[in-house]
Amino acid sequence: MDRKVAIVGQAQTKHSEDTGMPRERMLFELVKGLFGQFGMTRHDIDTFVLCSNDFETGRTISNVFEDTPVGAYMKDETKVEADGAWAVMYAATRILSGIYDTALVVANSLGGSEFRPYLIMDYQLNPTYDRQLALINEPSAAAFQARSYMDKYGMTDAYLDMIAARLLRNAARNPNALRAKADATPEYVAGSEYLYEPLRKLHCYPFTDGACVLLLASGEKAKDLTDSPIWIKGLGDSIESYYLGERELFRSPSARLAAERAYKMAGISDPKGQIDVAEVSAKFTHQEPIICEALGLFPEGSGGEVAEKGLSEIDGDMPVCPSGGALGAYPFSAAGAIRVAECFRQLTGSAGEAQVANAGTAVAHGQDGFCAQHNAVIVLTVEEG
Amino acid sequence: MRNVAIIGVGYTPVFVSKRKDVNIVEMISEAVDAAFRNTNLTPDDIDSITFGNMQTFEGLNLPHLWAADHISALGKPTIRISTGGTTGMSTLQAAYYQVASGLYDVVMAVTWEKQSEGDSQVGLAGIVMPEVMVMVQNGMDLFGGRGIGGMGGGSTGAASYQATSYLHHSGASPEHIDKMAALERTNASKNPYAHLRKATTVEDIQATPFISWPLRYGHTCPTSDGATVAIVVSEEKAAKLADQAAWINGVACCASDPTTANLIEGQITDPAEQQPARIAAEKAFAMAGIKNPRKEIDMAELYNGFAHQSLMWLEKLGLCKEGEAHKMLDKGALDIDGELPTNASGGVFSTNAIGASAMNRPAECALQIMRKIEGGHQIPKKVRNALAHGWGGLFQYVTVMIISDEPRKA
Amino acid sequence: MAFEMGPETRQVQGTWDVTTYKYKIDGGGMKLLCDAMKEKKIRGIRCNECGTVYVPAPTFCRKCHVDIDEVVEVEDSGEVGTFAVEMADMRGNPIEKERISAQIKLDGADTWLGGTIEGVDWHDVKIGMKVKAIWVDNPEGRLSDIDHFEPL
Repeated sequence: MDRKVAIVGQAQTKHSEDTGMPRERMLFELVKGLFGQFGMTRHDIDTFVLCSNDFETGRTISNVFEDTPVGAYMKDETKVEADGAWAVMYAATRILSGIYDTALVVANSLGGSEFRPYLIMDYQLNPTYDRQLALINEPSAAAFQARSYMDKYGMTDAYLDMIAARLLRNAARNPNALRAKADATPEYVAGSEYLYEPLRKLHCYPFTDGACVLLLASGEKAKDLTDSPIWIKGLGDSIESYYLGERELFRSPSARLAAERAYKMAGISDPKGQIDVAEVSAKFTHQEPIICEALGLFPEGSGGEVAEKGLSEIDGDMPVCPSGGALGAYPFSAAGAIRVAECFRQLTGSAGEAQVANAGTAVAHGQDGFCAQHNAVIVLTVEEG
Repeated sequence: MRNVAIIGVGYTPVFVSKRKDVNIVEMISEAVDAAFRNTNLTPDDIDSITFGNMQTFEGLNLPHLWAADHISALGKPTIRISTGGTTGMSTLQAAYYQVASGLYDVVMAVTWEKQSEGDSQVGLAGIVMPEVMVMVQNGMDLFGGRGIGGMGGGSTGAASYQATSYLHHSGASPEHIDKMAALERTNASKNPYAHLRKATTVEDIQATPFISWPLRYGHTCPTSDGATVAIVVSEEKAAKLADQAAWINGVACCASDPTTANLIEGQITDPAEQQPARIAAEKAFAMAGIKNPRKEIDMAELYNGFAHQSLMWLEKLGLCKEGEAHKMLDKGALDIDGELPTNASGGVFSTNAIGASAMNRPAECALQIMRKIEGGHQIPKKVRNALAHGWGGLFQYVTVMIISDEPRKA
Repeated sequence: MAFEMGPETRQVQGTWDVTTYKYKIDGGGMKLLCDAMKEKKIRGIRCNECGTVYVPAPTFCRKCHVDIDEVVEVEDSGEVGTFAVEMADMRGNPIEKERISAQIKLDGADTWLGGTIEGVDWHDVKIGMKVKAIWVDNPEGRLSDIDHFEPL
């Protein structure tokens, strides 16, 4: 591949339960802030890739009023309706094609104040059967998956509390996180009420209003714009069956395939050795080990051990979600883009108190669907290579 | 820049008001199967899938997740694109960029709509639902029309405003709209994949009542159930897989502000101006190396939800001079055997499975170039360069593709 | 290859309930306009950089991509930008009397407002025709304070 693509900048809202402002205002201020960082205007952007969801915004064609606030008036724009990680990958293909030199990815959701995310997922259910039966919804399906992993590997739900507590502590070091607690303990997490056993409220992502904007550029342009471009070295995604009964919920073949594709592109043959930090989208705590194991970061079934030994702490062997991850904030379409943005902060040494020392290679992950049916993996590096 | 070609298209067997015999995923799989048949490819040959439709029309969120099993997507990269009326072409453009980027060699673009399973009125009204609610709260007379902001234009909405403005600026008469309508419906009668296939005369059109002058009932498009799939490949693959491929040489998109007079964000654009069309067309021509569109473009497939739009787009996209389109219509230049066959397929005006409608335009261009049109609407002259156009949003999005019989010269 | 539709499948009911959304809309421009209408005036906001006057106003200029807040008054008369004549309702049933609805560019504004036109035969309406607002006697600060437009 001759062309290269890098991330040049990022900005996020302070994620909240309620932004207190209309979506258009939120987007305008966020994008203006990023442009301000670079002294750019909207005319410096060759293409805009938006990411939002009709059922979350309650509007057919959710981007009709998002274009002017992000600066896309009379400009090239398109909209991905999936998790933000896919918007980042699509923007990358636009730049790699050679037709564009700069791309702005803007992903957003008002899933905290406008509409309940579990309902957004209900509308995703097969309308002829699952939606009619109303037996599963997002958290109950996630509970199936949690139970499946625990049964397979003979664990209790204690590891769920440990993972959640770690993420809450990490989130306290993230100025943009919504849900955080600097001294969170597993006991504190275990004190929250059950939604569907074994999943408690604090094991599940919070309903969040928020947005994320990422500025991508081609190789030469990126080096013009910044001294520390972060290179998108690998990307990949894959999808599993919609039908839960046909899947082994305790592992994620699609995350594994997605990672294999991304790693191959990036020249990563030893994920544990070569990756310094991972930001995965685990909407429920039990998903973190499943995804990390699929990404080759930990051995299969090691969720409990990893939690007990603190292997995924910020100063651990393989830091996972130093930002607090999805449990710290999860705006519906923006989430995967936020994971990329957090990797960017790590690799540019701007992650503040959550900084992983000497981070040179990061992996970001996004998901969609029930029990992470659809997974995307992006490898980012400091080295241009 | 890597060259990218369409090597095959798959349609559902028909586009009709109601496919009561299949559910959504079954219907989409029909078009996917047709695409495999028409290209002699199998699911293993597909590197990646792009997928699009207008989901609120069925009330089904992220439908690619349910459809995955049914479109041979399991284990494959999959992405969903949704941009309103332009979705069909945006989805194909996503496939184009995936191949152009060098990351994938064979990508399948899947677009569809099954409007009979939802409520189109809700789907359409849903675009500005919150704005309308605020306007009504502030005294807007939603249907009566008194005061400011009433939903003028009736059920044809802002299209009537657009038509009046177009007639005024171009010198065309309302009868030209009737004529274009009759031409396209007659074209559609030769197209087995069109929805409204009754050969229609100008008198037939003029017998329909005006909904909102100058637009008649006979000037409006149907709502259809159907799906369209296209397979795009790299240059190396095209050489192996197709005798004649259809090369995507120009790709562009432009978005303006919403131009349907919602009162939350005041409209500053004449709906007939369609500046995004000019911008997108110029970009696409430049990319394709087309210096004289009027001479070099041999056919056009335009997104016309309403019959006057075919004439309007020809002018706004630069395929003829301002005010010239209706004269070309009178001369027979827009007929299938004319110098600029326009909507030989019957256009969106005759077939509108809305998520697929903007994909049907490049699909038809590709089939024309590859001379694989089924039915009787194959354009007789050689088609070297075709223009496919998509339109959507609140009268704000335009996408353009230039499709040719040869790849772009380096 | 003639297509024959197969047997009909079962149908089940579903809904998309839009009433459960808590939309947040920026109503500032609408409020500015409605407050002005109480005084039989029309106000919008002007962008300092490009001079575009929006009625009603968003909080930022979409061309210049900057915040805007300069309130300006525009005339309650202007010209017809485009129009349509409603002859049937949303379902296609003919309505009793044709209604002329237009998009009107008020003098001083760059935006188009929708409104109805009375006092003229629809055959005589032309793009560019000058019209003025006819106000109700007791405006309340609502969009209905302008009853209709008439040719000047």
